[in-house]
Amino acid sequence: MLMFLARRLMTSVLVVLVSTVVMYVLVDIAIDPLEDLRTDTRPGAEDRIAARTAMLDLDSPVLLRYLDWLSGASRCLIGSCDLGRDWRTGTPTTELLSGAVTTTLQLVTVATLLAIVLGVFVGIVSALRQYSGFDYGLTFVSFVLYSLPTFWVAVLLKQFLAIKFNDFLADPQIAWWFHALVVLGTATVVMAAVGGSAARRLRVFGVAALVSLAVMLYVDLTDFLVTPGLGIVLVGVLGVGMAFGITALSTGLSDRRSLYASLTVAALGVALYYPVLYLWYYVDASWPIVLGLGLLAVLVGLGVGLAWGGPDRWTVARTAALTALPVAGLLFVDRLMSSWDNYVDHGLIRGRPISTASRRTPGFDSGFWLNTLDLFGHLLLPTLTLVLISFASYSRYSRASTLEVLGQDYIRTARAKGLTERTVIMRHAFRNALIPLASIVPVDIITLVGGAVITERIFNWRGMGWLFANYLDQNVIDPIMGYLLVIAILAVVANFVADLFYAVLDPRIRVAA
Amino acid sequence: MRLRRIAAATTAVALGAALAACAPPEDENENEGNSDSGAERITVGWNQPFFSYNDDTSNGNATANAILVYLTRSTMNFYDAEQELQTDESFGTYEKISDDPLTVKYTVADDARWSDGTPVDAADLLLAWAAGSGKVNTIEADQVETDDNNVPVLGEGQVYFDSSSAGLPLTETPEISDDNKSMTLTYSEPFADWELQIDGGGVAAHATVMNALDITDPMEAKQTLIDAVMANDATKLGPISSFWNSGFDFKSLPEDESLYLSSGAYVLTEMEDGQYATLEENPEYTGDRPASIPTVTVQWNEDPNAQAQQLANGEIDLVGPQATTDIVEALQNIDGTEVETGVEASYEHVDLVVDNGGPFDPATYGGDAETARTVRQAFLTAYPRQDIIDRLIAPLEEGAETRDSFIVTPGSPTYDEIVGANGSDEYAESDPAAAAALLESVGVSAPTVRIMFAADNVRRENQFEIIKPALEEAGFVVEDARNVDWGSKLGDGTYDAAFFAWQSTSTGVTESQATYYTGGLNNLTGYTDPAMDALWDELSVTTDEDRQVELQTQIDQMLYDNAYGLPLFQFPSVAAWNSERLEGVEPAPLSPTIFHGYWNWSLVD
Repeated sequence: MLMFLARRLMTSVLVVLVSTVVMYVLVDIAIDPLEDLRTDTRPGAEDRIAARTAMLDLDSPVLLRYLDWLSGASRCLIGSCDLGRDWRTGTPTTELLSGAVTTTLQLVTVATLLAIVLGVFVGIVSALRQYSGFDYGLTFVSFVLYSLPTFWVAVLLKQFLAIKFNDFLADPQIAWWFHALVVLGTATVVMAAVGGSAARRLRVFGVAALVSLAVMLYVDLTDFLVTPGLGIVLVGVLGVGMAFGITALSTGLSDRRSLYASLTVAALGVALYYPVLYLWYYVDASWPIVLGLGLLAVLVGLGVGLAWGGPDRWTVARTAALTALPVAGLLFVDRLMSSWDNYVDHGLIRGRPISTASRRTPGFDSGFWLNTLDLFGHLLLPTLTLVLISFASYSRYSRASTLEVLGQDYIRTARAKGLTERTVIMRHAFRNALIPLASIVPVDIITLVGGAVITERIFNWRGMGWLFANYLDQNVIDPIMGYLLVIAILAVVANFVADLFYAVLDPRIRVAA
Repeated sequence: MRLRRIAAATTAVALGAALAACAPPEDENENEGNSDSGAERITVGWNQPFFSYNDDTSNGNATANAILVYLTRSTMNFYDAEQELQTDESFGTYEKISDDPLTVKYTVADDARWSDGTPVDAADLLLAWAAGSGKVNTIEADQVETDDNNVPVLGEGQVYFDSSSAGLPLTETPEISDDNKSMTLTYSEPFADWELQIDGGGVAAHATVMNALDITDPMEAKQTLIDAVMANDATKLGPISSFWNSGFDFKSLPEDESLYLSSGAYVLTEMEDGQYATLEENPEYTGDRPASIPTVTVQWNEDPNAQAQQLANGEIDLVGPQATTDIVEALQNIDGTEVETGVEASYEHVDLVVDNGGPFDPATYGGDAETARTVRQAFLTAYPRQDIIDRLIAPLEEGAETRDSFIVTPGSPTYDEIVGANGSDEYAESDPAAAAALLESVGVSAPTVRIMFAADNVRRENQFEIIKPALEEAGFVVEDARNVDWGSKLGDGTYDAAFFAWQSTSTGVTESQATYYTGGLNNLTGYTDPAMDALWDELSVTTDEDRQVELQTQIDQMLYDNAYGLPLFQFPSVAAWNSERLEGVEPAPLSPTIFHGYWNWSLVD
């Protein structure tokens, strides 16, 4: 193992070194730092050209300048990085990078999580219904999404989900055919996903249609789009629904202790509905407090589960804790929603809550809840863009690996010894189906961190991708090299981590020394 | 056992429900935002972020900085939308008190104040002079050591202001009046663009000196500056110049308010690095160009399409992106938006190279200058300028026209007069047949012309598609020499004709001298004409406006006569604003473009 690590480290350093040389030379060929001076008609441009040439040392060969850059960069090893700077404004590269990394992480974190969860879920369902209409439909949709160009999707989303939706909010009248379309569409998808005999399909279709109709009517009649909110009743209904759903997936509904523990958690959520509202009235919310309360909810869930006890108390506790998190989330969302109309009516928002660009509304600062809504209003479109495009690949991966796992002997064995289908899928198949993903996800995250160039540019988020594209455009080499260095290192690390993950998760694989 | 648990759970729920009996109060704090100045605020979209409050340094000289400086610092003169120089006497006046020697007296208005209450006075003008003239610098530009930030590093006793000016080096150390309100500047020789040299819009002298020398009293700081300049005291001027060069560079709002003092209508109140800046009405401002909208936010975004959608979504209220057919069309399709097309300062032109042994070089014809001139004339006669306008520019700009002068910009006050007399009408229409006849008249057949242009630029590629058939019809063999690195190849002799754009930043009469003067820095064609050089020499020292126009007309005429090349068109510009919120916008061709005339802006009720 140690040999393996040492060897990997050495090749990694070599890879980073070689890639920086190649990139430095390529970038140097691509950019022309004197471009703006060449068509300058002001007097004295010759002096300016000479001064800039001297400043950037343009007369010396590119490899010498590279070595100069490398000597600064290598000082990162002793803790005093000198990655050069943007000579147009004098900002050090390190400063540019730290700002850009934060922005990019804010942008891609939610999108990546959503894409993975959604992709894996859809992929597994699609694998379970292999060669059904649902499977074919999803394959079609995911390939369509996969092949969509980001800039096109982004522009369409801006046009329809921001501009048109904001217009619509001014006078929210939903046409009857839209209701019909949503109800029939949802019912068809659910029916296809659940599958089964014709009678069962019909039943599922009916139930799904009724539920979605109820939701649509609720949205319509309560003016949900203008004054959203869950209220204690909906928190209760949704909480109980989650308790049943999570128990069904986790331990099965036949495990009564788990079910009761989850239901208790849901009931606690309802009971705490008003106290929590009071809490937010007296306490200024902030992300640490909100996340802390989320953690507290998980601990309470564990406690409730343990209190219900039984021979498998930790299983019960796990189910209860898993339920506690979304129930706490409901309370958070409800509180957030109650600030919605204050946000929409704000003088800077003027009834147009969904934004097409930037990280936040300039000059907007009205407390935690409104600021959070502002952040969400700005995150919505870029997140959707990233999710739509990357979710497709995850669903393909997880479908393929689930199918492979389901064909293994041990699954047949599990079924043969009489385990329920839930246990077979969730316990035996699901976990192993995730192994290939463990090697894809780290690399994918790095690609997103470095590669959201188009999304960042279109949505005007000044993250890593923007940094790269912008400085290439402005003919400034140091920030580009800083970007490439970070990405190169991260890529090497991500591949390394993926290999290690793989070895840890799958005992059949050994890291060769 | 189990019953007890259920009972416990029920009790917990009941307890919670009991608490719930009294409904929680509405959070009143959140409604504050609704009475916020949001309604009294507009957001302007701009492409490049601000980075320096001193736009007189060679580093800070950028439109991105100039637009915010325009809103925050008063000037004694400014360009209006017709490119005429207007004066702002509420801030200060200047007058030429003598022609020989050229003497100009600047007087700052009595109630002109910086936003910290300190009066604006001659010390501020003197700092601008010291910086622009270079007279107090102890070292030359090429002796300056710069650190990695491109900021000059000055040694002990070294003075270097990182700035340049065409006229101020010709002046003597100015005289300051006893009340510190006036400054008199004497030129050693006449200078044509004397009005553009000092306008009072520089950074605050007292802020510079206080920060550079750790002085706390503003008036003492001003006096220190005046004394130091008068005595040429390098020990004091060294730190002052050093602070002036880089002390005002910031990208997010510094804690020290003296770094962004305002003498204009607005004062900076917020700046997020690379995202936006907020400016609010300056309470100390009493001049003639007041803020008509209390708060202006400038939001930065490089992507013009994204800006158009921001405008459609009400996120920004005013924007002036680079004009392309797509952008103009997108802006015109937005409801409730007013779109105004016009011209910007850059202009496209075609250059013919006369010193590379090509078809336009007399050397090719054994030194027969006349033959070379006729070949050039033939080339230009065939050049389909009007076609280019009709097909590429007219869709972007209503009433687009060709530019018919080499040295003055359309719309400038003297343009019509000069165009009427400069002989540009000879090239009004493309005439391949006449061009062919010209070629025949000097016995040159099928000369090969290598035409260079930017390879990755759609508009230029389209231009080439338009000119190629017309030139071929006239008998030229057109060789496509498009190049991605066209900028660095300019002037290297590997092409015979090139079309690209010059940008201009002022209407100063000496602006384009370097392009046409023998050996001038921007003279990329090898063109040389001693008679015209003499006219330039005279023009640069002529302060009489009528004589200036005469000389400009003669120069223009010579350029057309000698078939130097042709100016083609002014770059189209576009500005769009939310007409349901904002009115009174009047974009100008020169910087600060869309921000021009902000005092006429008003909100629609």
